[in-house]
Amino acid sequence: MQTPLHIDPQQAFNEMAALQRKLAAGMQNLRGLGEQEYANTPREEVYREDKLTLWHIKGSDRPTAKVPTLIVYALVNTVWMTDLQDDRSLVRNLLAQGEDVYLIDWGYPDGADRWLTLDDYLNGYLDRCVDIIRQRHGLEAINLLGICQGGTFSLCYTAMHPEKVKNLITMVTPVDFRTPDNMLSHWVQSMDVDLFVDAMGNIPAELMNWVYLMLKPLRLNQQKYISMVDILDNPAELKNFLRMERWIFDSPDQAGEAFRQFIKEFFQQNKLIKGDLQIGRQPVDLGMISQPILNIYATQDHLVPPDASRPLGRHVSTTDYTELAFKGGHIGIYVSSRAQREVAPAIHQWLRDRT
Amino acid sequence: MSDQGHDFLKDYQAFARQSWDSWMRYLQQSGAPAPFGIPPSAPNDDLLTRSLASLKAYGSWLQQAAGAGPAGFGPMMGMGNWQQPAAMQSFLAAFTPPFAQTVAGIDSASAFGLDHQWQSWLQAMQRAGMSGVNGMNAAGAMQGLPAFGLTREMQLDQQALAAAINDYVQINARYHALLQQVSTRGIARLQEMLGQRTEPGKQLDSMKALYDLWVDAMEEAYSELALSDEYRDVFGAMVNAQMQVRKLQQQQTEKMCRELGIPTRSEVHSLGQRVQQLRRDLQASKQREFHAGSNEVGALQAEIAELKRELAASKAAAKVRPIAGKPEEGNGKSAAVSRTKTARSASSKRK
Repeated sequence: MQTPLHIDPQQAFNEMAALQRKLAAGMQNLRGLGEQEYANTPREEVYREDKLTLWHIKGSDRPTAKVPTLIVYALVNTVWMTDLQDDRSLVRNLLAQGEDVYLIDWGYPDGADRWLTLDDYLNGYLDRCVDIIRQRHGLEAINLLGICQGGTFSLCYTAMHPEKVKNLITMVTPVDFRTPDNMLSHWVQSMDVDLFVDAMGNIPAELMNWVYLMLKPLRLNQQKYISMVDILDNPAELKNFLRMERWIFDSPDQAGEAFRQFIKEFFQQNKLIKGDLQIGRQPVDLGMISQPILNIYATQDHLVPPDASRPLGRHVSTTDYTELAFKGGHIGIYVSSRAQREVAPAIHQWLRDRT
Repeated sequence: MSDQGHDFLKDYQAFARQSWDSWMRYLQQSGAPAPFGIPPSAPNDDLLTRSLASLKAYGSWLQQAAGAGPAGFGPMMGMGNWQQPAAMQSFLAAFTPPFAQTVAGIDSASAFGLDHQWQSWLQAMQRAGMSGVNGMNAAGAMQGLPAFGLTREMQLDQQALAAAINDYVQINARYHALLQQVSTRGIARLQEMLGQRTEPGKQLDSMKALYDLWVDAMEEAYSELALSDEYRDVFGAMVNAQMQVRKLQQQQTEKMCRELGIPTRSEVHSLGQRVQQLRRDLQASKQREFHAGSNEVGALQAEIAELKRELAASKAAAKVRPIAGKPEEGNGKSAAVSRTKTARSASSKRK
């Protein structure tokens, strides 16, 4: 029987020496780079309320799409993942396809936002943004593109205000919150969420980051930085790495009351698919959604496993339901090379077929 | 293993130590933060801190794994040696510290790092001159004793807090003991994975490949544990215990603030709730105005449409009337005046 280790001592020595050399040479590159900007595709502020800003993204050409699409992002992290860098931008790719894109930047909640509820977010902020876009375009209904938790919000909103949504796209969106492979959900089942929110108030971004790192502690907190050594001598790659680091750790605190409701009613009680969810005074019945739906999930998503997204088709009443499996992870669906080629064109094609 | 191989490894260890020391000196001279201090706010410094922690763990592992002694991979290179439990255990021992270090690193930098929070709170209370707090460390010994006298309420509070801290310490120890299982299970998994790579072409030919395989094994073991019922319950209990401590700390702080006339957390919450309700009321009021405005515009549009119809009808009627001269202009003017009046009249009615 052979040994699994076929490591020549001289080669091992060379490998380690190379690592040291790369480190020494690369640190100078790292020090000179500073904060990396996002793509910052030109945009116009359309509406502002409290911490929220509604942006209209401006392409170089006039959009050909007649119905605008509003991107609804999650409350965790920031919407700039959709416009991360020049060559990795979902919104730029959508503009290039001729879509007319708006997006909501939820902003950074502080103590004054501690008592914002899901009703405030969905039937308040989101509803007003939708109304403003409808009014600007003289339309009864617009398209929604909900991402992750923002996809869940878009589903709830469409169920409550079906007359205002023409087409619905959900990306990496949790629908069934109690699937066996959902680690986040598993961890919160024994938590006393009331005690948690009462004690914490708003939930600090650092705590959220801790939870995400603990999903894959070695990969996300050690291996990633060891692999970084390989790109220390490549300023372009290093900038991309730093930009992604900025996005990962540039995350807002969570408004306490909204967090409480989301964890209890979605993660713990799974009310969205049980049909007994209520936001404010309005019942949320997924069966009310008869709009065309494009549900995009990532096959290697460790945050929102595919099994959490796929059940959507069983709970809505639409007869026009399409699923798209993207080969990649929760972040790769926006920033990978494959995503640049596949995601925006697929969304555009699907929308065009329904205009 | 040849002597030549041992020489290479000794050379490497000396080289690695020298490089590491030089690198650390360079960073310190450049004003970089201490690698294991609290992460600073500047993004690149934060990145440096995390990178350094990771690289140091990796560097330690490399030195151990590549060591010339019995724990090094050198002895493992011999035919069949990697299957011998004693040799394997000795070799794999090099893999244990990095996981624990990594988790501890994440913990200490996060909001879950209760230890430093606790110390800060205790010091703040002591500085504020809150009597009785100096005895907090011994409060555990007071548990079960009846409280009495002028400071009775404070004694009860402290006993409750001491009990909560005790609960937290115990559950936190259980949590970390669970995490330790990851190392054991992960190493067993690594052994299995190594067993699947004995064929030529599948063998590991670099230290980095071995490290990556170790990460795969540990993450698999961790994932399995993290999805277990036991982990769910212990994790939940740990969070709950910590929140209980925090809540009791807040209650004590609140009492002190009230005595000193400083706004309390409860008061801020009360104000926040009122502000939020005012925001809702304001938005509802705007919506009502908007809809009322929309209704008014709609009514005006309907009136204009009606007037247009009337105008068209009067023009049509004028055409059929046999009129000489310029009376059409007069009719037109009259219609315009009439339309304005009608509109004003309708407007004043709405008011």
